[in-house]
Amino acid sequence: MAQTDASLDTFPKYLLANAKRFGGRAAMRNKDLGIWQKWTWAELLEEIRDYSLGLEALGVKKDDKIAIVGQNRPRLYWTFCAAQAIGAVPVPVYADSVAEEMSYVLDHAGVVLAICQDQEQVDKVQSMADKLPSLKKIVYDEPRGLRDYDHENLHSIDEIQQRGKDIHAAEGDARWLKTIGQGKGDDLSVILYTSGTTGRPKGVMLTFDNLVSAAKSGCEFDHLDEHEETIAYLPLAWVGDHTFSYAQSYVAGFCVSCPESPETISEDRREIAPTYFFAPPRVFETLLTQIMVRMEDAGRTKKAMFGHFLAHARKVGERILNGEPVGAWDRLKYRIGDILVYGPLKNRLGMTKLRVGYTAGEAIGPEIFRFYRSLGLNLKQLYGQTEASVYVTAQPDGEIRADTVGRPSPGVEIKIADSGEVLYRSPGVFLGYYKDEEATRSTKTPDGWVHTGDAGFLDKEGHLKIIDRAKDVGKLNSGALFAPKYIENALKFFPNIKECVAFGDGRDYVAAFLNIDLTSVGNWAERNNISYASYQELANHPQVYEMMASHVDEVNRQLASEEMMAGAQVHRFLVLHKELDPDDGELTRTQKVRRSFIAERYAELIEALYDGSTEKFVSTEVTFEDGRKGKISATVKIADAKVHEVTAAGFKEAAE
Amino acid sequence: MNAPVDSKSLRAAEQFQLSAHQDDIAKGDVLLKVENVSLSFGGVKAISDISFDVRKGEIRAIIGPNGAGKTSMLNVINGFYHPQIGTITYRGQPRHAMRSTEAARQGISRTFQNIALFKGMSTLDNIMTGRITLQKRNVFWQALWHGPAMREDIEHRRAVEHIIDFLEIQAIRHTPVGRLPYGLQKRVELGRALAAEPALLLLDEPMAGMNLEEKEDMSRFILDVNDQFGTTIALIEHDMGVVMDISDRVVVLDYGRKIGDGTPDEVSKNQDVIDAYLGVPHDE
Amino acid sequence: MSPVVLNLIETILNGLMAGVMYSLVALGFVLIFKASGIFNFAQGVMALFAALTLVGLQTGQVPFAHLINAVLGTNLHSFGWTLPAFAAVIGTLLVMVLFAYLFEALVLKHLVNQEPIILFMATIGLAYFLEGFGDLMWGSDVKTMDVGIPSGGSFWWEDVTLGWVAEGSDYYGMYIDRLDVVAAVVAVVLVIVLTIFSQYTRMGRALRAVADDHQAALSVGISLRTIWVVVWSIAGFVALVAGIMWGSKSGVQFSLSLIALKALPVLILGGFTSIPGAIVGGLIIGVGEKLAEIYVGPMVGGAVENWFAYVVALAFLLFRPQGLFGERIIERV
Repeated sequence: MAQTDASLDTFPKYLLANAKRFGGRAAMRNKDLGIWQKWTWAELLEEIRDYSLGLEALGVKKDDKIAIVGQNRPRLYWTFCAAQAIGAVPVPVYADSVAEEMSYVLDHAGVVLAICQDQEQVDKVQSMADKLPSLKKIVYDEPRGLRDYDHENLHSIDEIQQRGKDIHAAEGDARWLKTIGQGKGDDLSVILYTSGTTGRPKGVMLTFDNLVSAAKSGCEFDHLDEHEETIAYLPLAWVGDHTFSYAQSYVAGFCVSCPESPETISEDRREIAPTYFFAPPRVFETLLTQIMVRMEDAGRTKKAMFGHFLAHARKVGERILNGEPVGAWDRLKYRIGDILVYGPLKNRLGMTKLRVGYTAGEAIGPEIFRFYRSLGLNLKQLYGQTEASVYVTAQPDGEIRADTVGRPSPGVEIKIADSGEVLYRSPGVFLGYYKDEEATRSTKTPDGWVHTGDAGFLDKEGHLKIIDRAKDVGKLNSGALFAPKYIENALKFFPNIKECVAFGDGRDYVAAFLNIDLTSVGNWAERNNISYASYQELANHPQVYEMMASHVDEVNRQLASEEMMAGAQVHRFLVLHKELDPDDGELTRTQKVRRSFIAERYAELIEALYDGSTEKFVSTEVTFEDGRKGKISATVKIADAKVHEVTAAGFKEAAE
Repeated sequence: MNAPVDSKSLRAAEQFQLSAHQDDIAKGDVLLKVENVSLSFGGVKAISDISFDVRKGEIRAIIGPNGAGKTSMLNVINGFYHPQIGTITYRGQPRHAMRSTEAARQGISRTFQNIALFKGMSTLDNIMTGRITLQKRNVFWQALWHGPAMREDIEHRRAVEHIIDFLEIQAIRHTPVGRLPYGLQKRVELGRALAAEPALLLLDEPMAGMNLEEKEDMSRFILDVNDQFGTTIALIEHDMGVVMDISDRVVVLDYGRKIGDGTPDEVSKNQDVIDAYLGVPHDE
Repeated sequence: MSPVVLNLIETILNGLMAGVMYSLVALGFVLIFKASGIFNFAQGVMALFAALTLVGLQTGQVPFAHLINAVLGTNLHSFGWTLPAFAAVIGTLLVMVLFAYLFEALVLKHLVNQEPIILFMATIGLAYFLEGFGDLMWGSDVKTMDVGIPSGGSFWWEDVTLGWVAEGSDYYGMYIDRLDVVAAVVAVVLVIVLTIFSQYTRMGRALRAVADDHQAALSVGISLRTIWVVVWSIAGFVALVAGIMWGSKSGVQFSLSLIALKALPVLILGGFTSIPGAIVGGLIIGVGEKLAEIYVGPMVGGAVENWFAYVVALAFLLFRPQGLFGERIIERV
C-alpha cells in the first residue's frame, strides 16, 4: 500500500492525492446500457470538482446538511466528497424507508438540499416538502419521467456539474483547493442515521478522523491496497457501505463498482469478481439457499459429485485454508474438487478472486460460515457499530472461529461490564448523536467508553463472543438463561426457516414463531407434489408443520447438549401466516427482527402459545408495496415440540 | 474497459428517441383510418362495416367483450388478415389490405394476446429481432461482421440497451425468454415491439393475465412510451378499468360491430356499451 | 506401442473420418428441420444433384444432352471446355440457390400452414423429381470427381506411425486417407461458420426467430419467403459440400442418394434440432460401425456395418427419443 502522510485527514484531500498517485487507475465503475463504464481517479477528481463547484453555486454553504436518497449510483457517491469539499455534511438516508421515517430524518438533520436518485425518490421527498422547512432544493440523478416537473427548485446533477464546469473554466480551482485545504480531521464528516431496533433513528456524527483512522487500520489489518476490487450494493446510509465503498476506497485508492440495477447484482458481481467483499449474513444465506435449490434441480451425476466434494471440503477445506497440516491425498482430492466443484461454484458466486470477505451486522450461522470457508474463501467475521466507524473486533487471518467475532481491532480497547454488556473505546468512536445530548450521554461515557448494548465475553484466547442483545437476554421462571437470538439463529440455520422469533423471558418455557422460506419450502413442495395457492396456505400445510417440528426437534437436541441452554428448549411453536416485513414495521430496514413490536402486534398468538390452545384465529393489518393497507386473516395452528433430556452433564430439567 | 466517458453521455435516456419512422403527420392528425371494413371467415362475420381512426400521438383503445372482433381488427391493421371490403389508410396512403411485412416496414409494431416471443432466444436477441426491418440488408458484410456492418450492429445494440433500460429488464438480458414468468415475457414482447421504433404500436391485451401490480407497471410503461417517445398506441383490452385510465379515446366493438366511439367518459355513459358489458341479449 | 493398440487407434480414426461424412449429410437435415420443421427427405438427393452439377460444369458437359440429341437428332456431348474447380463450385452454388428459389416459389409457397406430414410428402416428391431430373440433365453414368482434393493414404503418417513400433514387427504403418482428413477439416469449418452465422448475424437471428414462432416473426417484419429461400440455399450449400466429399471419395453415382438413409440414425442419435448433435451422432455411428465390424464382425459373420447404425438408433428411440442433444419432447397431458 502506498504510504500516505499524516496531512491527509479528510476525504477531499485523499481525492486530490489519489488523482496524483493513482491518476490512471480505475476509481469507480458503473454498468450502464450493458457496458461497464469507468472513471479513473483523475477523471473522478474532475467530476467531483465540477459537481462541488456547482453545489456551491446553488447556495450550499459550510455545515449545510445534504441528504442523499437512493441506491448505489456513482454520482450519489460523488455527492459525499463534493459536499465535504465545500464543508457541507452529507446525510445518506435509506432509500426504501417509509415516508414517515424518511421525513423524520430529513427534518431532524435539517437538510437544505436533497440529492435523489430518480423520479420515485423525488416524488417521495416532494410529498413531504411542506414538513421540511429547511429544505430548499431537490436534485436528481436520473432524469427519466421528470421532464414535465416544475424545475424552479428542482435541478439535475447534469445541470449542476455543467454549472461547476463553467465556473471552473472561468475562475480556475484555486479557491476550491483552498477550501479543501482548510478542512480539518476533527470536522464533522457525515451523519449516519441508525435504523434502530427501538425508537426513533439517531444521527451518529462521525468526524473525518474517526473514519480515516478506522479505514486506515482496517486496510492495514487485511493488507488492502489500490489493487482491490469491490462492488457497492448495500444501502448508502449504512456505516458498513460508507466505510467499505467510500472511506476505504479513498484511503487505499481501490476501485468501487456500482451494479446496473438491484436485480443484476449477482451477475455484475460475477463480472467484476471482487477481491474484497462485504455482506450481512443474510446475503450469504440467500446465496447458499439459491445454490442448494439449483442443485436440487440438477442431474443425478452432478448432484452426487457436488455432494461428494462438498463433504470433502467440509472435512479438510478449512484446515487447508488455515494452513494446518493435511494429508497429500486429501490435498489432491481437494484440488480435483476445486476444478470440478468449488471453482465453478465460486465463479457462480462471483468470488473467484476474493481475498478477504467479511460478514457482520448479525451473527452468521456457523454452518453457513464454514461452508464458504471450506470452499477456500477467506470469509471472516467482524463486530462493529456505526458509533465505532464500524470496527470493534475482527478476525485476524488464521484465527477464524465460527462462534466468535475475533480480537479487538487495532486501536480498540474492550471491557465487559458487570451486567455482561460489552464496552469499547477507540479513535473511531463517534462525536455524539446529532441534536440528542441525552442519548449521547447514555451511550458514551465521559472518558470515551461506548456501550454496545450487546452481551458477551472475551474467551481465553481473547476473542469476543457475543451472546445476544444485552437487554434481550432474559430468564425463564425456572431461572434458566434465555438468549433468544441464540435459539433463533439455531433455527434459522435450516434453509426452510427464513425468520423466527423466540419468546420466554419471565415465562415457564420457550416458544417460537417461525417464518418459512418461500423459495426453499416452495421448491420442496413442488418436488413433493404439494399444491398451494398462497404463502398462507403453504405455511399452514400439515406437512410443512411436520417439517418444522423436525427442525425444532433438532434444535432442542442441540440445546440439550449445552449446559447453559438446555433449559431453554422450544416447547411450542407456530408457523406465521405472513412473512415478517419491514413495510409492516416487523423488521428493521436491515432486516432485523423488531421483537417488542412483534410481541405487541401478535400478542394474541403469544398468549395462545402459552395457554395450551391448538389453534388461533388472527387478523393482521398489512401494507402492500404500493402503500395501500389491507388485512390478512388466518387460523394459525400451534404445535408442541419434543423436549429432550439434558445430554450434557449438569443440572436436569424435567422433560414433559 | 472503455475510453474515458463523458458523464453527459451516460444517462442519455431522455435524449434517446424512437424516431426511425418519422413522417410529416402533425400530432393530433389522423395516422390511421379504417373505413367500412368487413371481414368474414367462410360465411362467419368477424367484423362488419367498422370505421374509426387513430390520431397521431394518442392512446387509442379498442375494447369489447370476448368475441367482439377486437383481435381480428388488430390483425387487419397489421396485415395478418385481409378484409373482404373496406379501406385502410395509413399515413395518408389508402389501401385495400396491408401485408404484414409491409406493415412492419412502415412502422407498425405489435404484441400478441398469447405472447408470441421467440422462446428459445434470450431477451436481448428477442428485442434485437425487433430491429430487423431497421437493419440494412447487407447480408454479405453481416456475414463477415466487418466495418460498417459492425458499426451498425453496435448502434442497434445500443438502441436495444436503451429499451432494456427503459423497461427495467437488465437482470434478464441473457435469460432465454421461455424461462421468464408471464409478466416479464409481456414486458419483453413490448420491448421487441418498441425496438422497431414504431410509428404505430398495436398492443393486443397487454394486461391479460396479470396481477394488479403487474398491470400497474404495464400501464406506467405504456404511458411512458406515449409520453416520452410520442408513440401512437392502439391497444385492445378486455378489462375496461385500466383502459379508461390510460387511453385518450376508446372504440367499443360488440359482435363485430362498432357500438361506441369517444373519450372514456363519453363511452362509459353510452347505453349500448353498458348493455354490451352487462350482457343484455341482442334483439336481432 | 504394440501394433494391437495402433490397430485400434487406426480403426477409431477411420471411424471418425467416416463419421464426418455422415455428419455432413445430417447437418443439412438439421438446418432445414430447425428452421422450418420440415424433415427434408431430399437432402441426400440434393447432395447427389449438386455433385452431378459440379462434375457436369467442370467437364463442360452439355446439360440435357441425351434429351436434346433424342429430340433434335444432334450428337452433342460436351462444350469442349473444362472449368477450374473453383469456378465450377461457384456455378454449382448458384444452381443450388436457383433451385432453392424455385422450390419455394413453386412448391413451399403454396403449402404455407400445412401439416408437417404434407411438407414431408412434398420433399419425398422433390427427392424423386430431383433424381429423375439429375439423370435427365447429366446422364446416369458413374462419373469421377476431381476438384483437387488430395486423396489416398498419407505416406508421411504411415512412416510416423511405423516409427512407434518396435523394430522387426510386421506392422505396415497406419493408413489414413488424406481425403478423409480434408473432409474432417471442412466439416469443422462448416460448423463454425454456420454457428457464427446463426448466432451473430441479422439473418441468423431471423432464421432462429422463424424457427421459433412464425407469427411473431411476421410481426417484426421478417419475410417468411425470403427465409425459406435462404434456408434451402444453405441446405443446398451443405449438400454441395457433402456431394463433393462423397463424390471425391467414391465417385458420383446414383447410389449416393442412399447415404441419406445413413443420416437417419445419425439424426436419431444426435437429435433432430442440434448442429453439434449431427456431428457427434455422425462420429459415434462412424466409430461404432468400424469397431463393430472389426471386433464383432468375425463372430457374426461380417456385414455389421450394414445394420449397426440402425440398431443403435433403435436403442435410442427406446431410451432417449430426443437424442443426445435434442430438445426434450414433453407431451403435456
